[in-house]
Amino acid sequence: MKPHSAYVYGMCATIAACAVSAGSAALAKDPHGLEPEESDVVTISPPKPDWFFVRGGWNVDGTGIYDGKTGKMLGMVASSQLSDMAIDPAGKYYYVSETIWSKGNRGTRQDMVSVYDSSSLKLVSEIAIPNRILVNEREHNFILADDGKLGFVYNFSPASAVNVVDLAKRKFVKTVELPGCAALIPNPGVGFSALCSDGSMATVAAPAGKAQITHSASFFPANDDPIFENFAYDKAKNLAIFVSYTGLVYTAKMGASPVISAPFSLQEAAGYAPASTKPLSVDWYPGSRQPMAYNATTGEVFVLMHMGEYWSHKAFGDEIWVLDVANRKVARRFPLKDPAAHIGVSQGAEAMIFINDEKGKGTILDARTGEEKHSIDAAGSGIIVAAAGS
Amino acid sequence: MKRFDADAIGEKLLRKLAGHTSRRSMVSRLGLALVAAPAFPLLPVSRAEAAKPDRSPEAKTAFARNAQTQDDTKCDYWRYCAIDGALCSCCGGGIHSCPAGAEPSPVSWVGTCINPDNGKAYLIAYRDCCGKPTCNQCGCDNADRETQLYTPQLNNDIIWCFGTQSMQYHCSTAVLVGGAE
Repeated sequence: MKPHSAYVYGMCATIAACAVSAGSAALAKDPHGLEPEESDVVTISPPKPDWFFVRGGWNVDGTGIYDGKTGKMLGMVASSQLSDMAIDPAGKYYYVSETIWSKGNRGTRQDMVSVYDSSSLKLVSEIAIPNRILVNEREHNFILADDGKLGFVYNFSPASAVNVVDLAKRKFVKTVELPGCAALIPNPGVGFSALCSDGSMATVAAPAGKAQITHSASFFPANDDPIFENFAYDKAKNLAIFVSYTGLVYTAKMGASPVISAPFSLQEAAGYAPASTKPLSVDWYPGSRQPMAYNATTGEVFVLMHMGEYWSHKAFGDEIWVLDVANRKVARRFPLKDPAAHIGVSQGAEAMIFINDEKGKGTILDARTGEEKHSIDAAGSGIIVAAAGS
Repeated sequence: MKRFDADAIGEKLLRKLAGHTSRRSMVSRLGLALVAAPAFPLLPVSRAEAAKPDRSPEAKTAFARNAQTQDDTKCDYWRYCAIDGALCSCCGGGIHSCPAGAEPSPVSWVGTCINPDNGKAYLIAYRDCCGKPTCNQCGCDNADRETQLYTPQLNNDIIWCFGTQSMQYHCSTAVLVGGAE
């Protein structure tokens, strides 16, 4: 007997014959009203304040787009492994800084910023850049200027530098050497800033031009109590908010010479003694792969916290502490059913929290009450970025 | 007691680097990183210099108090105090050996780990093995004195496959460089 596939090929020997056959089938009315269909492709709206962008995680391509209100997936940005994504402030494009090789894991290395239309999610352009860091994704290895015209891609080759990309003209501009610094901070009207291994903040003014670099005084002990490079930035206040391994909270009013506050203790803000760097001192500490998120409307930082000893800064969060930054008070604490690796907070009127674990299970919580709203299997096990507020 | 010699450790690391690579561009970039950053801190060096070697349980990290010296396929093996990734010991390689077909990175991040048998601290270079898909065996993520990207030599997330034919990460080794005190 002929195999089934051969039988089908025999009946439908040419594409034209198949087309005729399909056309005939289309003419037949289905008694149940199930009409023949054609394949098509949807488009989606520009990013909305309730949306989350969830990376696939280590060794996984793609960034899933989720509506925080419904918990539904809306689409996927084609981000490759070890890439970083930034969202056009005008909402027209998603930018992915990424690295691929011509033969899979070998061949010619190609570094680029890939430009995707935010509605069709189709590739629009590729902007070649000379290099970039290879590390699992970070929010602050690829940031955009306030007006969205310039992109800054962190570069580690293994010398520290920043690639400046003209996104409007879609061309690479220059590389700014920035020794000993990383974790890029928006600095509208100036350029960008970064945290440095000597405990200072570097500011690069006119990065596409003269790229003048200045440093603040050292303000944090970079070796003994480092600041997490996952920090918050409030665009309206032009304020960066940092948390250190022991839970010290610093703020920096950005500008040509950023003004950095004296720190206060997150644990003290919750009624505890400040946490210690000493062994055998068990305290609540911030931690995980993405320990904090920020809601600009309420001025609240959401921090993943765990009980442990110092140097446990990669431990996943057992609770979310909600810090009112202006009043220096932990306003709410949400115990979690399962430890969380990453956290994001939406910027809409009814803020939602998105957390996930390394198996990719995503959970959406009400940011005011901590009530679980949605649970999503295989949501992605990488970092979570919220769309900007309206 | 012999004090930790920062210069000697730095020289040892650079000699090992020079011995492991012939790729001029990579070395020049590394040279730039070292030369252009006079404050580029060899942190385990300066840390060990500054700290008195108190090895009492009260002075040890949670990892150091629980570390063992017998099984290098377990995450609590003493040299793995700051490792992140798949252990090459579980992937067909060894504590300082890449599995067949992989290539060791000449540069790395480092950790300062305490051997519980003799109470001494040692400088450990966590050299990635490169050029093959992620091994996915024995994944560990220990973080003693591990910092952020702005101190890259103490960050254990970076893919350190510089100067190798392929930058694909396969697994991590824990090469003993020398004493840290």
